[in-house]
Amino acid sequence: MHNISKRMFTAVVLIIMVSMLVAGCGSNNNTSTNGSASANNAGSSETPSTVDSKKDPVTLKFTYWGSPYEKAAMEAAVANFEKKYDYIKVNAQHIPADYETKLTAMVAGNEAPDIGYVRDFMALPLAEEGKLHNIFDFIDQDPELNKEDFLEQAFIYWAPEKSFGMYTAMESYGMFYNKELFKEAGVAELPTTADKALNWDQLIEIAKKLTLDKKGRNANDPNFDHNQIRQYGINFAANFVGYMPLVSSAGGDYISEDGQSFGLTQPESIDMIQKMSDLINVHHVAPSPAESKSIPAAAASIQSKQVAILMTGQWVLLDLGKSGVDFGIGIMPKIKYQVSSPGFGVASIFQSSKHPEEAYLFWKWLANPETSMDLHANGLWMPLMKKYYTDPEFIAKWADVKPAHPDGYKEAIMETGLNNFKKHPSAYVKNFVRIDSIVQPAIERTYFGKTTAEDAMKSIEQEVNALIQGRYDK
Amino acid sequence: MFTSPAVLGFILFAAGPMLASLVMSFTNYSVIGDVKFIGFDNYTRLFTGEAPFYFKSIMVTVYLVVLNVPLGIIGAFLVALLLNNKVRGWSILRLVYYIPTIVPIVASAMIWMWMMNPDFGLLNYLLEELHLPTSKWLFGEDSVIPSLVMMAVWSTGNIMVVFLAGLQGVPHHLFEAIEIDGGGTFRKLIHVTLPLMTPIIFFNAVMHMIASMQTFLQAYIITDGGPNNSSLFYVYYLYREAFTFQNIGGSTAMAWVLFVGIATMTGLAFLTSKKWVFYEGDD
Repeated sequence: MHNISKRMFTAVVLIIMVSMLVAGCGSNNNTSTNGSASANNAGSSETPSTVDSKKDPVTLKFTYWGSPYEKAAMEAAVANFEKKYDYIKVNAQHIPADYETKLTAMVAGNEAPDIGYVRDFMALPLAEEGKLHNIFDFIDQDPELNKEDFLEQAFIYWAPEKSFGMYTAMESYGMFYNKELFKEAGVAELPTTADKALNWDQLIEIAKKLTLDKKGRNANDPNFDHNQIRQYGINFAANFVGYMPLVSSAGGDYISEDGQSFGLTQPESIDMIQKMSDLINVHHVAPSPAESKSIPAAAASIQSKQVAILMTGQWVLLDLGKSGVDFGIGIMPKIKYQVSSPGFGVASIFQSSKHPEEAYLFWKWLANPETSMDLHANGLWMPLMKKYYTDPEFIAKWADVKPAHPDGYKEAIMETGLNNFKKHPSAYVKNFVRIDSIVQPAIERTYFGKTTAEDAMKSIEQEVNALIQGRYDK
Repeated sequence: MFTSPAVLGFILFAAGPMLASLVMSFTNYSVIGDVKFIGFDNYTRLFTGEAPFYFKSIMVTVYLVVLNVPLGIIGAFLVALLLNNKVRGWSILRLVYYIPTIVPIVASAMIWMWMMNPDFGLLNYLLEELHLPTSKWLFGEDSVIPSLVMMAVWSTGNIMVVFLAGLQGVPHHLFEAIEIDGGGTFRKLIHVTLPLMTPIIFFNAVMHMIASMQTFLQAYIITDGGPNNSSLFYVYYLYREAFTFQNIGGSTAMAWVLFVGIATMTGLAFLTSKKWVFYEGDD
């Protein structure tokens, strides 16, 4: 009996070991790992074994996020890429939610993708620890491309001269509104050129006329009931994405110029955050974080007339264009400076990749607007390459395409994005995620009207300063 | 010998990872950088208040447990009593009360979010029609936890089923004895049903308490721990520490603190149980 159980035990252990070995093999890249796959690999010490440069098949793992619509467009881009480079197979994994969690788990399990989307705040520490390639190492070697072909502001740097890549696409902020509601309220359409941009008081006036309670009275009416609002004049994100473009416009910043102290306690920043809180609590033209949680997503809220003006990134054009709603575009309001901001995602090549050359080929493919022109033409993305902003022939390929790009688009969104660009703090503040976990609740307290912006920001100043580690861009 | 698969499974999939996480909780493991042993630093960071909002997350979780466990148990018990009365169509009713438990929490969360919408939601609409004060429900700092408890009580079907099984096992001759003595329904409940049900109530209460202490999904799906961290549950805090801040070492330390906390609470529950739980065959 004892013998049998011992044998049994050994058998079980053996089975487990064998299955682990098999699994281990399976998780390896299913390419013949005999050195570099690319025969004309510059820094490679291997000499190709055969004279003809028939390339070994290579499989790239690529992870990305995006709506179902983006997924379809990405799959088409991947298929075209595989057609052009028949020896490369791209195993594209669409991760619609919880992207950081999954990527963290992949990196921890030595299963990191060869190339993947990464949120800026996660990419910066990864790059500092040497987990991401400096994209300039590839671009400088590339006879077809120059760094200057791209928009300089699209690169995110973790140190001088060191960038792990560009935004997955350009973005730019603006105001998007339901034209029908403007007509009903007798409000003129929003300005689209920088010289006519609204100041803050003008914005409040317009928003008041567009905010209606359940009985149809607007916010200027003495009997207006702000507990029964049916239609909000304006909406914006309740976090830094919402206030930072305006704080920058007012001349404030998230962190001080020298990267040593908290920036939202600067008078300009406090004033702006207070102004945003007043939109909610004094003028009652914007939903509080509580109400905005339950208003449908961006484009749908304009379509359903729950919101008249939406201050956000131009990616909403995709949904607005598809919704069939009659919408217009306005340039961001101007406090002191005209400011527009980007998105957050970056496409990066991981150091752990066994096929960096092929990963770069794919990176180039993604960075080239031609490979995903429909995503640009339908309003979701803006091109990363300069000539698409300067050469009328190339501009026409995307910025003239209706319905996603209504009249005024080029001045209000495209040119502002080109000339008045300011990155979000998540791309230049060190330790941003931790800091913002302290800042965000304080912002919420302000927006809920529980405290003034000054008290809220001053109350966390010490705590934030203890977490500040500097800036990546200085 | 025949238990070897189970033992191996336990070692590989439970004990091993637990041991690994215990080791990790003494390191600064962050996936990204180099791993260093840092002794008890992760634990001292928690208890000295250096970790922002850590105590707040404990308070939030305790608040939820204090509300959720009694309400959930009482609610499920009352429904079970109702169903035990063999009203016509009771099997249909049983199904109706059980359905919310098998609806995926994501789907039910979405529906509750609609109903609790402060401006356009059904609940506030009803309250307005009745001229009662409305609430911000899930989106207000003070009302978020009670709202989540309301949602949780609505889906306690599995507890209800266990109670129902217990109720059907209550021997009939005891009821007859009370009837002969002239007692009514209420006396039956107090003197027979409740005492005989105490082991099951105890079991459900402990399980429900453990589950409540590990509340995560509601914060993750609906509230993101907000507004102003008023639904920052312990496990959600831990998750954020691990996957938003990449501090795996620190989060494993939190997990072990939670483990000890749950073990302590369960132990306390067992100690008190001697006083009020009645097992048949006891003296």
